[in-house]
Amino acid sequence: MWNLYLPIAGTSINIVLLFGLGGAVGFLSGLFGVGGGFLMTPLLLMVGIPSTVAAASDSNQIVAASTSGSYAHWRMGNVDFKMGFLLLIGGVIGGTFGVQIIKVLRAMGNADFVIKITYVLMLGIVGFYMFMESLQALRKKGVIEAKKVEAEPGRPSIYVRMIQALPWQMRFEKSGVTLSVLLPLILGVLVGILAAIMGVGGGFIMVPVMVYMLRMPMHVVVGTSLFQILFTCINVTVMQSVTNHNVDLVLAVILLVGSTLGAQIGAKISQRLHADQLKILLASIVLLVMVQILVSLILSPAHLLAYKGGH
Amino acid sequence: MRRSNNGLWWPGVTLFLALLLGPAGPAAAASPELRLSPNQVDIGTFFEGAAVKIEGTMPAGTTAVVEVVGSEATEHLLRKGRRGGLWMSVGEIQVHHAPSLYMLLSSAAKIPEFTGAATPWGFAALAKQVTFSGSLQPQEEDKFFQEFMGLKQGEKLYRVMPDALHTSAPQKGQVAFQGMLPLPAKVPPGQYKVRLAVVGQGRMLAHQDAVLTVKMVGFPATLSNLARQQGLLYGLVAVLIAIITGFIMGFLFKGKTAH
Repeated sequence: MWNLYLPIAGTSINIVLLFGLGGAVGFLSGLFGVGGGFLMTPLLLMVGIPSTVAAASDSNQIVAASTSGSYAHWRMGNVDFKMGFLLLIGGVIGGTFGVQIIKVLRAMGNADFVIKITYVLMLGIVGFYMFMESLQALRKKGVIEAKKVEAEPGRPSIYVRMIQALPWQMRFEKSGVTLSVLLPLILGVLVGILAAIMGVGGGFIMVPVMVYMLRMPMHVVVGTSLFQILFTCINVTVMQSVTNHNVDLVLAVILLVGSTLGAQIGAKISQRLHADQLKILLASIVLLVMVQILVSLILSPAHLLAYKGGH
Repeated sequence: MRRSNNGLWWPGVTLFLALLLGPAGPAAAASPELRLSPNQVDIGTFFEGAAVKIEGTMPAGTTAVVEVVGSEATEHLLRKGRRGGLWMSVGEIQVHHAPSLYMLLSSAAKIPEFTGAATPWGFAALAKQVTFSGSLQPQEEDKFFQEFMGLKQGEKLYRVMPDALHTSAPQKGQVAFQGMLPLPAKVPPGQYKVRLAVVGQGRMLAHQDAVLTVKMVGFPATLSNLARQQGLLYGLVAVLIAIITGFIMGFLFKGKTAH
């Protein structure tokens, strides 16, 4: 009852369950501007989808969720296209480098170790920093003025002086910042490398990078991140279809109907929440995923063999 | 004379042969029958596994063993191990000659085994058939065979089911049996060899073979063929569907929240 056969995954699954998973992850995507791949793929593995199909089909559903989310944020004036394109170009270059790095690591037999450690470290650092920073900001707001909090990212540190000294400064109207063209390109490359190593879209790294390193306002960050993720996932979906034939359209369509609905609700709620509340929620989810991965690395697995593929 | 000698000699031989074959009476009876219903399972849009009825007849006093075996393939698996105190994939292992599906049903409470010879069915027989290569030592093969069995049993693709064939009361020296073969949703499309072995006195007395076909049909078959034969088109269609759905949802929500 309510089961559908997934021809590429080669198994059958409950439609309501898939719709619910799509909806929940889409909600988070619309809320925080992350693709949700770091959440959806492990969830699909848990319900019995083969890892290669889960990762590839997830990219396809992220295309829909990020289209829906980008569209919603664009209507609200929250997408900085100029910044998004620069980050995207950097991301593509970084992704290509990252794939080569993984090839070398695989040949050396250390790939999985590096991937897992990078995953835990990145999630841990990003989650912890964002959590603490948002917590501090929320506390300060209750006591003193909010102005200082807003001004805090702009404190005249070495970093600020350094980015101001970079050539080719450009005004990004939507984000309200003036930065060198090189900065989003370089940061895009770095995120692209990390995303390729970890096998994820990189939204959960890109969002803090935009907030803390590009000093963009949180609401523009969410819209711009979704816009950039859209293109990354279009590329991944087509490449996976051509090379590995493991995009399950039935799986993706059910997920994407749920995720696009969820993304719209998430985008609406993100407008009502304060930037620090959004950040603290995303940080909590990132930290939860990090703990879950860490536990799976420490506890003995049920089987010493697993099917090859996936993240 | 010669004629009369022959007349005495032939009945003697017949009697001798009858006495010789007498103890194996059940085997001497009609050959066993095996029927599958249906003998083709279609994987359609709402497929969630299937049950195939297995029925047949065998001589009274014998045990039926039905073995269902899928085609052999090489499986590529990752071996988990500890590195720096953490569990992760530490190498690739290839498993050769492992059937895509292995099911064993029997009419006895314990799967019958041969006396004085290797039993040709069950996980012990599979252990002799399956070989390993990749990152493992020869002394680790037994351990990883057990791990492989655990993986397949978890997916319900390998199962041993004693007492799964129910027998009726003997009639004219024959016993009818029937049972259900549970095919999981993960059953790969293909041809499956089904063998009924009639076992008595610690050996196989007779056998009967059949073929079970599992085939993808309708929408799943069309989609699967498109994905494999027209990868680029399939990928572009997938992206297009995703973008259109994303826009439609965005547009619908815009209308609803405009009040």
